Amino acid sequence: MTVFHDAATRVECDSIARWKKDGKPVVGYTCSYTPAEIFYAVDILPVRLRGIETDGMEVGDSYFGPFICSFPKCILQLAGKGRFSFLDGAIITPGCDGMRRLDECWRKAGEDFEGIVPDYFYYFDVPHKSENHGMAWYIEEINQLIKSVEDHFNVNITNEKLQAAIREFNKGRRLLNEIERLRCEKDVVVSGTDVFAAAVAGTVMPRDEYTAELKKWVSALKKRKTSLSEGKHRVMLVGSISDEIDLFELIENTQKALIVGENLCFGIRYEGNEIAEDGDPIEALAGHYLGSSVCPRMYGKYKERLAMLKERIGQSRAEGVIMQNIRFCDLHGAENALFERDLEAMGIPCLRVEREYGPHIDIGRMKLRINAFLERIEGRKKANKGDGDET
Amino acid sequence: MITAGIDIGSITAKAAVLNDGKILGTRVLFTGYNAKQAGRMVLDELIREIDMSMDAINAVVSTGYGRNSVDFADKAVTEITCHGTGAHFIDPEIRFIVDVGGQDSKVIRIDETGRVLDFAMNDKCAAGTGRFLEVMARALEVDLDAFGPLSLQADAASKISSICTVFAESEVISLISKGETRENIIAGIHDAAASRISAMARRVGIVPPVMMTGGVAKNIGAVRALETRLETPIRVSPHAQVNGAIGAAILARKL
Repeated sequence: MTVFHDAATRVECDSIARWKKDGKPVVGYTCSYTPAEIFYAVDILPVRLRGIETDGMEVGDSYFGPFICSFPKCILQLAGKGRFSFLDGAIITPGCDGMRRLDECWRKAGEDFEGIVPDYFYYFDVPHKSENHGMAWYIEEINQLIKSVEDHFNVNITNEKLQAAIREFNKGRRLLNEIERLRCEKDVVVSGTDVFAAAVAGTVMPRDEYTAELKKWVSALKKRKTSLSEGKHRVMLVGSISDEIDLFELIENTQKALIVGENLCFGIRYEGNEIAEDGDPIEALAGHYLGSSVCPRMYGKYKERLAMLKERIGQSRAEGVIMQNIRFCDLHGAENALFERDLEAMGIPCLRVEREYGPHIDIGRMKLRINAFLERIEGRKKANKGDGDET
Repeated sequence: MITAGIDIGSITAKAAVLNDGKILGTRVLFTGYNAKQAGRMVLDELIREIDMSMDAINAVVSTGYGRNSVDFADKAVTEITCHGTGAHFIDPEIRFIVDVGGQDSKVIRIDETGRVLDFAMNDKCAAGTGRFLEVMARALEVDLDAFGPLSLQADAASKISSICTVFAESEVISLISKGETRENIIAGIHDAAASRISAMARRVGIVPPVMMTGGVAKNIGAVRALETRLETPIRVSPHAQVNGAIGAAILARKL
């Protein structure tokens, strides 16, 4: 577990440092729509860019302005402070408009802060629809990305290499799926914090090293007997992008709740969906990364997302859903309101909170809302048992 | 059973002592810098006032933003639950509470037992809170206690368009320089705060009868503005400011 926590809580974790020491390149990417297998296929370490360990916002604020999500601002802040100097390349993707703007803000900041833009800096476009022309467009984008990587890094990305990378990534997906099943048990033996750390670690660690560590951990989890869910409220955490282990800790440190599932941009979301290991690997990657995505940036997918959330709530026996959105996150802010309306109508308690990402995390206010929500769930349970609060 | 509730808010610390559902006394002090000390002091002063010893108190529940700093409390409960319980104790018909304190405002929907069904709070913004009114009172050089009565004398409430306390203050200063009357400006300020709170209330779903709690409930102008915005009468108990502490003392009976 230590290796996962190290990878999840440090921008330049030990795994990245070791990779660099071997003289191999590292490419950062910003969004779950980037097929990381393309890089791993040719010994380039794909690393999901994150905003943790930010301790100020002067660079981010200067180029983005105040009225935008703090996540891309934190990434730019770290870039401006030279914290991404280990990157040989960066891929920017329009996961949302804030992330799209990271492309131009980072380039502009590079004019003022020497050396902060990696030599290879690529804008990878992603359509908002996965049907027909959207899928054809995305496949074309993947082909262009491959050509660009081949030209810049002087590598040859063959179908065989892509299929080998897909197989390696799938091993991790299967293992994470096994953890998801453990979280659905009546007695859950693993904390949401640890699971999330393991999931985030998968976005930055070399994949074979990750698979090996994950295999060991899953095997150990299966032998655990002590229930962590006993006497606690089972909750799900959903909403805006988050890679913050401390957000999970904040909830679980109340000692009243266990996070049994999440639907976040980082974390376990599509692990049920493995990528086809045979056939055309580019079509397989596109089918997974675009075709199976139901994140709120995609048009016309709300009903699918709601159905998926309902299914996961049922499977994980969640008793409430905590919906967070980073201030100015339109996608999740709007969607959380819809989720709240529809889930509450089904009798599933929801908490909707707005917050900042990074150094501005408002711990006291978050704690109050979370504790009040857990008291609400407790009151509901007591009422259902006929142990009402007659005063 | 004698129980005490301590509510440490951002501006005031409140205490209530109850004996089997009967209020023996309540007390309000400024919280000041040291929340821990304020919790101890407000209860000490109250038990002295009602001529009781600390040993006679069987259980203590703390609430409010400083709830975890009350080291002698048997349990800390959030103010959402405490306000629900307190409002139900004072008036069992109440189904909806608007609590406006110094630091935040909250709306709470409760059932016939006082159990919280849903709630919402303002997020990271002083607009629509007691602090917002304090800042405005300073800009207008009016004592906060006079705010309510003055606003009722307005002939037309000024329009305060900004929801941000800092921007609203500069807007108020512009209105003063334009020669707008204090009464109209104050009525506009109350309406701006009420507008923000009512949007939050509609999200949770307003179910009358509605009670207003918290220090701002003492401001008749704020109550009237909220009644207009919510389109329903609002009940205000004489214990509005100490409602959370009373709820905490009620919950202490179950420990």
